[in-house]
Amino acid sequence: MKKLHISELLKRYNLILLLLIFIIISTILSPNFLTLDNFLNLLQQASIPGIVAIAMTLVVLLGGIDLSVGSVLAFSGMVSSMVALQFSDGVMGILLSCLAALAVGSIMGFITGTLISRYKLPDFIASLAMMEIARGAALLTTSGNPVFGLGDKFHQIGGGFLFDKLAYTAILWIILTVIFSLILKYTVFGRSLFAIGGNREAAMLSGIKTKRNYTLTFVLSGLLSGFAGILTASWMSTGQPTAGNGYELDAIAASVIGGASLSGGKGSILGTFGGVFLLQVITNIFNLIGLPSYYQRIAKGIIIILALLLNNFVASDKGKE
Amino acid sequence: MKKLTTTILIAAMALSISACGNSSEKTSAGAAQSSASKSTETAESSGSKDSKNFTIGFSNCSQDTPFFANMTPIIEDYAKEKGLEVISLNADNDTSKQNKDIQDLISRGIDVLLINPVNEDGATAGIEACNKKNIPVITVDKNVTKGNTAWVGRDNKVMGKLVGEKLIELLGGEDAVGTILEIQGTAGSTTMMNRRDGFHEALEKAPGLKIVQSSYCDYDRSKAIPATQDMLQANKDVVAIFGHNDDMALGAAQVCQEQKLENVLVCGVDGLMESVLKIQDGKYHCTASNDPVLLGQTAVDAAIKVMAGETLDEFIDAGTVVIDKSNVDEYANKDLDFATMVK
Repeated sequence: MKKLHISELLKRYNLILLLLIFIIISTILSPNFLTLDNFLNLLQQASIPGIVAIAMTLVVLLGGIDLSVGSVLAFSGMVSSMVALQFSDGVMGILLSCLAALAVGSIMGFITGTLISRYKLPDFIASLAMMEIARGAALLTTSGNPVFGLGDKFHQIGGGFLFDKLAYTAILWIILTVIFSLILKYTVFGRSLFAIGGNREAAMLSGIKTKRNYTLTFVLSGLLSGFAGILTASWMSTGQPTAGNGYELDAIAASVIGGASLSGGKGSILGTFGGVFLLQVITNIFNLIGLPSYYQRIAKGIIIILALLLNNFVASDKGKE
Repeated sequence: MKKLTTTILIAAMALSISACGNSSEKTSAGAAQSSASKSTETAESSGSKDSKNFTIGFSNCSQDTPFFANMTPIIEDYAKEKGLEVISLNADNDTSKQNKDIQDLISRGIDVLLINPVNEDGATAGIEACNKKNIPVITVDKNVTKGNTAWVGRDNKVMGKLVGEKLIELLGGEDAVGTILEIQGTAGSTTMMNRRDGFHEALEKAPGLKIVQSSYCDYDRSKAIPATQDMLQANKDVVAIFGHNDDMALGAAQVCQEQKLENVLVCGVDGLMESVLKIQDGKYHCTASNDPVLLGQTAVDAAIKVMAGETLDEFIDAGTVVIDKSNVDEYANKDLDFATMVK
């Protein structure tokens, strides 16, 4: 127990070290980097991928993977914008559109989770199939066209700012990070994820409802992706069927940089928060100094490797919470 | 076992990254077939070379952008009006699928092939098969390197140039000064390079205007928004933003609105209706139309001419028009996806 805490701390410290190094380099490279405006900017830009990464981390804790997050985001976003469009920007319509999108996301997560836990499909395959289905469905709703003409009220959810400075999406991201960190630490369900990811057999024998919790985790992943879909559609004032493309890989990368292990049982929502932030800093600094984005991709790859090497230096046993 | 799965996973991830992961762009078969099935009930493989009553095969490169998605129904509807059969297939951005699609179209007895190729060389095998069977090939929107009778398309360089010229005019002439942000499309795409080159050519006339290019945003609004925000942080004297397509430029326009930068002129290319309607509101400033209706109809007309034994020009220009607030009312129509020159 104690040992885990120390290594967890070290891991976080690792990430903070990496972040600091990057922030120092970026500050030297661009005078516009270390400003409050840019920091708020960064928070906003990282918030939607950040919420998707929370979903991914939950699944990764189980030793699973959910490739459908980006596509579920797109389909939920399409659903919410279609519904919002019907109600010409009334509060009722917005509520309905959010509910519809969250329902769609959860149902898709439920199907993926059930296929994996009840019908023994591998995570990779089941979520890959759902990724295709959700993307196809997103394109099908409007035969590939974006939905536009969404009202200002709807745009406020994902595109509004508190005091004209701090994006609502950033606040939501921080709140969700706190909530899910607490769930993992203090609830039976949350702690069971570490146990299932650490050793599934043992978890089952010790009376944890592994199948149910596995499915539930995928439902949560779908729910969060659906929520991210609403925010995306609202942020861009359009439902885009191609939204969220490639988010699944960024989310996996962020989880891993944040100390999660793809074989399960290890990881933290706070670490993922840092991972997402670090990846966003890379994009941001490249845009600020105007370097071609080819370098950006190379840098991204190097960062992932660096973070993992650092994590391995403080390798610990798998979490035995 | 777990190690093995993890290894396979990582390998798969690496592969999909290196393949520039367009995997999530694929439509499911159901979505791809839905529009195709409507018009293919009675495709007879008689192959009758009748100049009035023949079958058109249309191989579309993908249906995951509004522009490409609209092209299929436009071609189908217009050909039906003319009393022709159309069989359309969608290649999902996959060159090998496009070649198989063309083979299928040939075996279903098409008399002429319209193709929007995935890329310039990818469909060579399929086009050669058409050449062997004496089936004329007309490329639509994008061109191929060889084997086609004619190319119905637009000069993207001209579009970029027209927008650049209009922008200089809107900024008050060739002695205008300031920074222009250029939001770039997909790295290495010909469309992107042509629009960029045309725009730069126009801007050479105004030496006081400096262009700062963004990272590649893949024609995707959700990538264009953060890029715009970052570039506005780094450049303080921005007078205009040019997006390689309207979708990205609309994202930039939104950022300008949020940051209360009403004086920044935003322009793009495509004539996407959303941007046309924003020109009416004064929140967007100009675009060059890239009308899929006219393009599709011109392509079908070209097919009719070829079947009637006429010789076609190698390049058939489907035309473009610059839309700004002076003429926007002619093109604004909420029911359409793109501004159209077809009245």
